[in-house]
Amino acid sequence: MKEYWVLLGAFGSGKSELALNMAIRAAKHGPCTLVDLDVINPYFRTSERGDVLTPAGVELIMPPFALDKIEILSLSARVYSAFTPGEGSVFFDIGGDHVGSVALGQYKPQFERVPKENLHVLFILNPMRPTAADLESAYATLEKIQFVSRLRVTGIVNNGNLAGETDYTHLLEGYELAKALSERTGIPVWGTCGLQSVLDDFDAYAKAHGLDEAYIGVRQPVDVYMHRSWDKFLKEGL
Amino acid sequence: MAKKLMKGCEAIAEAAIQAGCRYFFGYPITPQNDIPEYMSLRLPQVGGCFLQAESELAAINMVYGAGGAGARVMTSSSSPGISLKQEGISTIAGAEVPCVIVNMMRGGPGLGNIQASQGDYFQAVKGGGHGDYRSIVIAPSSIQETVDIMPHAFDLADEYRIPVIILADGLIGQMMEPVELHMNPNPTMPEKPWAAQGWDPKGTRPRAVINSLYIETEDLDGLMTRLNARYDVIREKEVMVEKYHTEGAEYILCAYGTVARVCKAAVRILEENGIKAGLVRPITLWPFPTKEVRDVFAQESVKAGLTVEISNGQMVEDIRLAVNGIKPVEYMGKGGSIIPAAEDIAERIMQMRRA
Repeated sequence: MKEYWVLLGAFGSGKSELALNMAIRAAKHGPCTLVDLDVINPYFRTSERGDVLTPAGVELIMPPFALDKIEILSLSARVYSAFTPGEGSVFFDIGGDHVGSVALGQYKPQFERVPKENLHVLFILNPMRPTAADLESAYATLEKIQFVSRLRVTGIVNNGNLAGETDYTHLLEGYELAKALSERTGIPVWGTCGLQSVLDDFDAYAKAHGLDEAYIGVRQPVDVYMHRSWDKFLKEGL
Repeated sequence: MAKKLMKGCEAIAEAAIQAGCRYFFGYPITPQNDIPEYMSLRLPQVGGCFLQAESELAAINMVYGAGGAGARVMTSSSSPGISLKQEGISTIAGAEVPCVIVNMMRGGPGLGNIQASQGDYFQAVKGGGHGDYRSIVIAPSSIQETVDIMPHAFDLADEYRIPVIILADGLIGQMMEPVELHMNPNPTMPEKPWAAQGWDPKGTRPRAVINSLYIETEDLDGLMTRLNARYDVIREKEVMVEKYHTEGAEYILCAYGTVARVCKAAVRILEENGIKAGLVRPITLWPFPTKEVRDVFAQESVKAGLTVEISNGQMVEDIRLAVNGIKPVEYMGKGGSIIPAAEDIAERIMQMRRA
C-alpha cells in the first residue's frame, strides 16, 4: 500500500522545499512520486527542479503547462495515476493558503479510498511569515485550508525559518506556535524541520531547557534545493 | 522590528502603506498580483481605499485623480499593463501630479511571458508615453532595498510633483527574502497647496486646477521651462548608484536589479581567479548616474566594461553614452527571460581578457 503525504500551509511556509526533501529521501527506499498541485505560483515551483528529482528517482507529475510559463495552470490527468494501487510513497505539493488548497478538493473521492493510517496531511508552519505569525492567523488558515481541501490535517510541522538567515531561535518560535496550535486543535505535532546544523542547535536548546518532546516530533533535516545562485551573497548586505 | 520572511510584492505594498500611501488603484496581471491582493486586505485596515479598476486605463486615471487631490497614491502592474497606462502617465507628468507606479517587468513584447525581464528599460527611462517629460525611475536589487526606498520614492514624487516608477524585474516581486520593515503609523505628509481639495467660496485659498492642457504656445513653453528646470535639479541631486569593488578594477560589470546580484557573484568568481573586477549598479535609472559611471571607467586600471541585462541590450546604450568611447563596453544578455549565470558572466570577462 502506498503512503500518501499531503503538504499544506500558508504562502511561504516552505511546503515545496519540504516536499522535495521528503520525496528525494523516500525515493531511496522505494517508488516515489511527487505531484505538483501548485496552481498559484508562477515562479519558484517544484516542477522547476526536475534536474534534481529525476536523477534521485522521483517521478514528477506537474501541471501540463507549468514550464511553458502559461498563466492559467491546469491539472494533469496523470494526477489520478498517483492513486492506483501499488507500493512506495506519493507526495502532494500544494499552493499556499486556502486558495492553493482548492486544487485538492476534487480528489476527495480518491483520498477517501486511502486507509487512514496511510494518509498523512501535514500543515506546515513558519511563524516568520507575517501572515502566519500568531496563533489566530495560523488557526484561521488551518480551518480555511481544511474546508476547501476537504481533508483533515493529521500533523503540524514546525518549519520556522528566515531563509538564509535561519537559526534555532526561529525554530523556537515555531515550537511555541506549533504547541499552541496543537493544544487548540488537538492535532499532534508531526515534526520539526530545518538545516541539520540548525536542528542540532535547536535540539541542544530543547534538552537544556526541557522543551516538550511531544511538540517537537520527528526531526526532518532539509537541504536547500529551491535556492538561487546569488543567495550566498546576501550576507554582504544587498 | 524583527525581520520577517516576505515576498517582494507583499513587502512593497506594506512599505508603501508605511510611507503614507492610502490609495491603490490597479488591475490584475502576473507577476504582480500579490501587490493588489495585499493592498485589498491592508488598505481598509488603515483607513485607505483599494479599488480594482475595470482596466489599466481606468486605474491610472484614478491615480491621477487621487494624486491631484493631494493623496499619496500608488498603482502597480506588469509590462503589458504598464503599456496600457502610458497615456495616463504622460497626463500625470504634464499635470505635475505626484504618484508611485510599480512595474514588475515580465518578458515581452506583446503578451510575452510571465517570467522576469528587464525589457521595459527604454519605456520607463526614455518616456513611454508621448511628449516631453521624465519620470524618476528607481531599480531596486533586493526586497530589503525596495522596502527601504519606498518612503523616499513617495517623498521624491511629492517634492518634484513627478511620477516615480519602481522598475523591478518579476523576480523581485516573486521571491521571498528576510526583510525588516520600518513601521511608521503616522507618516508625515508634506503640505500640498497646489492640490485640488475643494474651493472655498470665501476665497481663503486659491482655486486649484489640475490639468495638462496648455493650448497657448507661451503657456506650454512655461510648463516645459518649469519642468526642465525641475529635471535639472533632479539630475543634480537625486542620482543613486552602488559601486562594488570598482576601485582599481580592470573590468567593470554594469547591471541593475536582480542581475546586479548575479554580477556580484561573478565579481567574486573573477577575484578568486586573480582578475580584478567590479560592478557599477545604477539604482536610479533616471536620473542616470552618468558622471559616476564615467568616473569609474576613467580609472587608468579599467580595460573594458560589460553590461549584463535580461533584455536585448537597453541600458548598455546609456552606459556607452556615459563612457563616451574612452573604454570599450560590451553587452551580454538575453531578451527571453533567461537570467545569465554568474559563471557565464565570469567566463565572458575571461574571454574578453584573452582577446
